[in-house]
Amino acid sequence: MERIFEFLFKYPPLFFEQGDFTFGAPMSVRLWLIIAGLLGAATVASYTIARGKSTVTDRGVMAGLRVLLLAVIIVCLLQPSLILSTVVPQQNFVGILIDDSQSMLLADENGEPRNSFINKEFASDESELLGQLSDRFALRFFRFSDVAGRIDSPSELAYEGTHTNLSRALDVAREELSGVPLSGLVMITDGADNDNQPLAESLVPLQAAGVPVFTVGLGEESITPDIELGRIEMPRAVLEGSSLTVDVVITQTGFEGSTVPLIVEDELQIIAEETVELGPDGEPVVARIYFELEGVGPRRVSFRIPPQPGERVNRNNARSVQVEIRGEREKVLYFEGEPRFEVKFMRRAVAEDENIQLVVLQRTAESKFLRLDVDDGSELEFGFPTSREELYRYRALILGSVEASFFTHDQLQMIADFVSERGGGLLLLGGHGAFAEGGWQGTSVEEVMPVVLTSPADDPQGFFAEVKVTPTPAGLTHPAVLLGVEQDQVREQWDSLPTVTTVNPISQVRPGATTLLSGSGEQLALEQIVLAFQRYGRGKSIALTIQDSWLWQMHADVPLEDQSHEIFWQQMIRWLVDGVPEAVEAVTDREQVEPGENVRLVTNVGDSSYIEVNNATVTARITSPTGIVEDLPVSWTVQRDGEYSVEFRPLEEGEYEVEVTAERNGETLGSDKTYLYTAPSDDEYFSASRRTQTLRRIADETGGRFYTPEDVSSLPEDIRVTGAGVTLIEELDLWDMPFLFLLLLMFMGAEWGFRRIRGLI
Amino acid sequence: MSRSLLHLALLALALFTMLNTGCTPDLVEETTYLTPLGAEFMSQQAPPRVSRPSFVDPRGPRMDPNEIPGRYPFYWTRAIYSGWGRRGWGQSWATDYPKGDQQFLVVLKRLVRLNAYDWDNAIRLDDPTLRRFPIVYAVEVGGMDMTNSEVEGLRNYLDAGGFLIVDDFWGQREWDVFEYNIRRVYPDHPIVDITLDHPIYSAYYDIEEVKQVPAIGRAMYPAECYGCVPYVKGIYDEAGRLVVIINFNTDLGDAWEWAEDPRYPLEYSTYAYEMGANMIVYAMSH
Repeated sequence: MERIFEFLFKYPPLFFEQGDFTFGAPMSVRLWLIIAGLLGAATVASYTIARGKSTVTDRGVMAGLRVLLLAVIIVCLLQPSLILSTVVPQQNFVGILIDDSQSMLLADENGEPRNSFINKEFASDESELLGQLSDRFALRFFRFSDVAGRIDSPSELAYEGTHTNLSRALDVAREELSGVPLSGLVMITDGADNDNQPLAESLVPLQAAGVPVFTVGLGEESITPDIELGRIEMPRAVLEGSSLTVDVVITQTGFEGSTVPLIVEDELQIIAEETVELGPDGEPVVARIYFELEGVGPRRVSFRIPPQPGERVNRNNARSVQVEIRGEREKVLYFEGEPRFEVKFMRRAVAEDENIQLVVLQRTAESKFLRLDVDDGSELEFGFPTSREELYRYRALILGSVEASFFTHDQLQMIADFVSERGGGLLLLGGHGAFAEGGWQGTSVEEVMPVVLTSPADDPQGFFAEVKVTPTPAGLTHPAVLLGVEQDQVREQWDSLPTVTTVNPISQVRPGATTLLSGSGEQLALEQIVLAFQRYGRGKSIALTIQDSWLWQMHADVPLEDQSHEIFWQQMIRWLVDGVPEAVEAVTDREQVEPGENVRLVTNVGDSSYIEVNNATVTARITSPTGIVEDLPVSWTVQRDGEYSVEFRPLEEGEYEVEVTAERNGETLGSDKTYLYTAPSDDEYFSASRRTQTLRRIADETGGRFYTPEDVSSLPEDIRVTGAGVTLIEELDLWDMPFLFLLLLMFMGAEWGFRRIRGLI
Repeated sequence: MSRSLLHLALLALALFTMLNTGCTPDLVEETTYLTPLGAEFMSQQAPPRVSRPSFVDPRGPRMDPNEIPGRYPFYWTRAIYSGWGRRGWGQSWATDYPKGDQQFLVVLKRLVRLNAYDWDNAIRLDDPTLRRFPIVYAVEVGGMDMTNSEVEGLRNYLDAGGFLIVDDFWGQREWDVFEYNIRRVYPDHPIVDITLDHPIYSAYYDIEEVKQVPAIGRAMYPAECYGCVPYVKGIYDEAGRLVVIINFNTDLGDAWEWAEDPRYPLEYSTYAYEMGANMIVYAMSH
């Protein structure tokens, strides 16, 4: 297309984009227009005056064609031309940035690796493209992957980079060439940036300096056939014995509709396997896989799909994720307002879970409490906690059938703050003293609830309904309500459980809340919200509006060997404490890096009331895989209260342990441990297809152009026309464009043809 | 004796009485009536009389047919089991029923913050509905002779999470009968003493001594059998959880039933109610 354009208009489109149009005739344009008008009038008059067998229409058409012919001639006589600013040969520099990452070695469909283009066009002395560039510009070569730097010649490229960072490459080249007249940068890459740094920050200085970037995209836009493991959604820390539900995103091309095994391995031992049916080409599928991890400490969990026949890239079929198995006992406070069997059966359900300490405070009479599973005699000695320090020791709070008026105003606010500030989990159970029936409307805690409270029923006996519980679509995929069965059997398992009862009619959730279980029954006018949750501040709140979940264990319809009740409560409480922050919490910005890469450690520090502390002394003790210990001070970031950070560079390959301790005035505020895995990365093999969009964006936003190896031959001339640096003004004649000559011929031919058709010759 | 002699004796007795009354009024002792725990409350809210089970209706009254189990968190439930019983017609399960149950509930609700159904609730051990009531009370088990379906029903009930309170049986012979029956339920689970350091004695009240609670007719002579010593025994399940509590050589039920009777000693009715409250609070939380 571009060639046709150039043939018709004498110059490539870029010239017209860049140049300014002008007329070079010696007389003024106005005079020429007057002459053109007179000639046109004379032409029209001659056709009007002439008589013969022609009609008025015939004469009009012929006069029009003749006027157009005259107009083309007049345009040529006006001497149209393009004013172009072109760079002065050999006085300007061009930076050539070449991708040096591993993905350059991937073979395209023709079997040739991506770097063969580089070898042919930039590393060979016989290259015509390189020759033309060298003739016009002084060339400076750069290589880039996760780092960028100058090289003398492309022959130095090794293609061993394990990441691609386009921003850094542009920054380094711009800075290095800032002192010379720079016509532009040429970036040769597949564009598969996997460092995720914002490009805009690097493009703005280039725009400001007027440096165009010409991008040459290598590789295919779609690698076919191929299967790739994408994102893996997995928590970074879980309690020992937790059932993990992990979502794995799988993308593929060329394997539409086929089934593949997804294998999960822990220390080379297969712990789960799932058959995944792949969707249409290019559409990702999310595979959900369940497994448990044994033992305590940091673990590398590997997910992989065995290479399929004909697959182009095998190294993107596997991923590893770091997870820490926590062995602590998580303390949960269950406050029950009256003796109820929920206490007994919930305790039994979690009794064998060594990681859950269910502390029960049960009101057995006015101001009389039964305390179970407390650490010592002083714990909850005076009933429900009256201070934040006392309440915040627990990671989750379960409120049973206890009326709001039992609590003081401060205690109610403290419960709300427990969720929003401390980040704890709050579970509200149904009962005579719960929700609206317990007078919770208008309290600070009402806002925290994921359900909407309505006025209690006028019936003096109160509301009562039997409820058949069913999982909602959201519940079918939520680990808390899966009951330990395969996902396709969850609904059947819930159907098999007996009806339970509620005394709290609740049919609406708050905006943003999610309903996992709903219920129906003869006494229910509206569908009952049985289990709903929402995030609230740093924590989450859950409402379970039934009052006798113990029937799922005790009822005669439930087989004795059925574990639904136990699993339900274990999962519920584990979910409740999942992700609850500590007062001191440390996390690295990435869970896996390469040896030598910088890692940022961020630590949030709070006191026992979870109020952010800015004057703490925070120390990170970093232990390398070979046992080398390094202590680093962690400094307050100033931008956020209680946030401390430090950067460090792990050099060894393996697992680093990072233990952070925070102190204030000699008093320990807390400590936390996190882990970091260092290993060479396979990132270059993921999402390795050409990112045309990204490369076009870089070119468009800087005034350059995007090329593929097929159309890159015009690059030297394009830089000459569009580039910055030392330039001169060129005037290019347009009057002799073949297009104008063709127009003349066309109008003359048209008139002749018209006359022939109308029999006027 | 002649008529004149009789008249003379009566006259002498009258004179003696008159003299004593007039001269030594401070020697007359005022009769003191003991007020048992909860009696004054019960006088205000006396439960309606319910006929005892009869030959015609050996199963006795059941829960109000309009009542849906679940409305209340707690139903005081009595086990109906097969047996010969000393009361004939196989009704030893119904001893003290229903008055004992109803009075127990009235007082229990006053003592413990318990949202309980107000009336008695007797149910067969082989009735699947039993599984809706996780505490069941069996009395006078010395006359027990469970059918196979009752044995299976009770075993499943306990395995599912139920709790059995056994009361009011005395002496070796009745123990043997009960042991035979409970062995059919749990052949291998030992019956052990529940010593005073067990948390059941402090679940609500602090109980420091196991007392022998007498029946109403023997309030002055606690033991219904010679030389019987009261025991609290129990059976644990495989997970080490107490699932059966056995009150042997004692009669808590009679104390509950007759607590308002002035003849019944306060000491025993108090202990019976304390033990009852503890057993229920414990069984609802363990």
